[in-house]
Amino acid sequence: MTDKTLSVGSTVTLPKPELDLLLADLRKNGYQTVGPHLQNESIVYTKIDGLKDLPRGILSDQKPASYRMIQTGRDRYFDFIPANQSWKQFLFPPRHPLFTAVKEGKWRLIENEEPTPRYALIGVRACELAAINIQDRIFLREDFSDPIYRLRRAGLFILAVNCLDPDATCFCVSMGTGPRHVAGFDLCLTEMDEVFLVEVGSELGRSLLADRTFDLPSAFVQTAASQAVERAARSMGRFMDTSDLPDLLTNNLDAQRWDVVSKRCLSCTNCTLVCPTCFCWDATDQVDILGKSTRRERVWDSCFNPNYSFVVGGNTRPNIRSRYRQWLTHKLGTWKPQFGVLGCVGCGRCITWCPVGIDITEEVAAIRVEVKS
Amino acid sequence: MTTTLIDTAAHSAGYTDKLLLPHWAEIVKIIPEAEGVSTFHFKFTDLEVQARYRFEPGQFNMLYVPGCGEAAISMSSDLETSGGLLVHTIRHVGNVTRAISRLKVGDVVGIRGPFGTSWPLDAIRGMDVVIACGGIGLPPLRGAIYRIIRDRARYGKITLLYGARTPRDLMFPVEYEAWKKADIDMQVTVDRGDDSWTGRVGVVPMWFYHFRVDPHKTAVLTCGPEIMMRFVIYEALARRIPSDQIYVSLERNMKCGQGACGHCQQGPYFICKDGPVFPFRALENIFNVEEY
Amino acid sequence: MDSGDLKAALQMIPWFTSLTPEHFNKTADLTHLRHARAGEIFFREGDKQDYVYIVLEGRVSLDIFVPHHGKVRFYTAEPYDVFGWSSVTPGIRQRTAGAVAVLDSTVACIDAEGLRHFAEDDHDFGYLLMRRLANVVASRLMITRLQLIDMFAGPAEIVND
Repeated sequence: MTDKTLSVGSTVTLPKPELDLLLADLRKNGYQTVGPHLQNESIVYTKIDGLKDLPRGILSDQKPASYRMIQTGRDRYFDFIPANQSWKQFLFPPRHPLFTAVKEGKWRLIENEEPTPRYALIGVRACELAAINIQDRIFLREDFSDPIYRLRRAGLFILAVNCLDPDATCFCVSMGTGPRHVAGFDLCLTEMDEVFLVEVGSELGRSLLADRTFDLPSAFVQTAASQAVERAARSMGRFMDTSDLPDLLTNNLDAQRWDVVSKRCLSCTNCTLVCPTCFCWDATDQVDILGKSTRRERVWDSCFNPNYSFVVGGNTRPNIRSRYRQWLTHKLGTWKPQFGVLGCVGCGRCITWCPVGIDITEEVAAIRVEVKS
Repeated sequence: MTTTLIDTAAHSAGYTDKLLLPHWAEIVKIIPEAEGVSTFHFKFTDLEVQARYRFEPGQFNMLYVPGCGEAAISMSSDLETSGGLLVHTIRHVGNVTRAISRLKVGDVVGIRGPFGTSWPLDAIRGMDVVIACGGIGLPPLRGAIYRIIRDRARYGKITLLYGARTPRDLMFPVEYEAWKKADIDMQVTVDRGDDSWTGRVGVVPMWFYHFRVDPHKTAVLTCGPEIMMRFVIYEALARRIPSDQIYVSLERNMKCGQGACGHCQQGPYFICKDGPVFPFRALENIFNVEEY
Repeated sequence: MDSGDLKAALQMIPWFTSLTPEHFNKTADLTHLRHARAGEIFFREGDKQDYVYIVLEGRVSLDIFVPHHGKVRFYTAEPYDVFGWSSVTPGIRQRTAGAVAVLDSTVACIDAEGLRHFAEDDHDFGYLLMRRLANVVASRLMITRLQLIDMFAGPAEIVND
């Protein structure tokens, strides 16, 4: 009847319970399957086994400083928009041991020998994959390649999901990062009511899917899925004009708007924690009480931390205004000459998770208005 | 992209595969300098690492005191003068540098590096060079001075302007005679002097009021407190020295030294890898922005 | 002293060469050269004396006596530097600092009272004089500000941390 040979680029329909078997296969192949999970009234990215661990029938509703979940009761698993966590915690862990130094007469180094986990990320949105691609540019450079990131990234399996219900804080279309996945995934799902439409993105994805019970999609299903993603693209909650970035920000370091926004900003670092592209880190020493053994760790840091720019002779960014300006003029400004692209993927997390609801789309628009007047 | 004038230096004699892993180096000599400042001579405990270690004046190492942390310290000599030893002149003001001040000959620290860009000693050949520095800004230039002296005929008039707070804070005073003998016009000034000081009292930038420079063939190398550098640059630009002939060494909070952790950024640059030595042309738009 | 020597010496000073011959000669008439050995004092704090000085060779240090610190030298005048300029301004008639040669020096000493009268009578000259003076004061102020900022101070000494 129909040719059921899979190839990279094929699109098939998969009954939803097949996903459980797919994840089990991944685990058999040495992957830790991690994905969204309802926990403590929020959605976190953690170890999941299958559909039963996914947030079933959950729709999200986001506003500045607000993330709410709505129970739809439907048998759908990916209607929500991700919450504060992003996948960067798996490639760029918030804490990671580097080495231990012990003093036995002389100092001796003991390297960290923990094996690198292999992750299968389940449910990666287009903005999130764009963020991973941006972090690839940061952590995997010709002159410097972060070994922790590199090893985790090399073993990564990505099960992507196309967003169908963007929230009010989403603006991936403005940043050119979504809602539809284009490339860079192993498998990509578009969720229908009864089935998943699955696109094969890589040989690895193909070989895993080949063992599942799938079907060729009808034209109706294909069209419905396509239209659903297009509808999503048209219902973005927010919009950012990027045509004059980065110059709009890097040429206006003296804008009044920096004073305005700094009166609201608490310098709490939330935005940098939830942002899937922020990459600053620090290294700390945990020394034992006798001073004979110390464990050096790499930990996340934030340019909003008051001592982030501390040098002998003072702090080069001693107030909130200078720190907020640094964050935004980096993210939507100097990131481009550094890495070739802007640093924002339009996920909207910084807007939702800012306790005072600062909205970077609004800030950029306000600076533009101020500069033009 | 504004960094076309900058060559990012190849860095890290050492591990490229391991994050932040240092090589151990032993303290071979400690020379007390001015108050709160000492010069340390280090040698890697691994002879192979020691043999292959290379750096250019202007670059820096990350010095690691286990249990304490790392500090970015410029090299204050060059390899030929130091006989291959790593020479660091350290001002003991922070946690790590104070911990280093408590170490003795034979003690060991971790070293990663060298990192960063170096003084453009090739690019300024044939030119008159004004080296303007102050306080702890002289050590990062001392290696460049040694190199220039060794290659003296290749440069034009060399002027060394050096300022410190008081006569007691002057760095390396025993070397000034040798430098003057090597045909370097050295002008020392202090912020304030006492009865016994017969040298200049004033500030480094004011030298420009008294001497003429030919802007076409003069290069300026400057390192020191940012305020001093700002005025040196101002005076140099006022005398029409082109901004790509003025080189500055910037200091920022450095943690990784490799342009990865984000701390040392100013504008689009990672000071640790795109600098610390910059032609001023690359910094024109961001240098004087308050708190940037 | 030979007035030819004096005029030749004054012609090394950039400001003098920009004066008209008449202004130059009148100023030269108010000027005499002094050769000071290292350690010779030009004036002390509190002196009422009325010269403005231009260093031609050597170095002259300005100092202020601070109890418990002794004489603090806060500026040295190098060749072609002016010191004692406050005597040109109306009003200030007492020295606020001392001046001592720290190297053997040759200094042009200009009678400030004569200069002030000349400036009053000839406003063209007066303008040139005050313009030069404004430049001297401006650069001195910039230098003083940098000294005041104490840019070499270690962080422990920075009061506002």
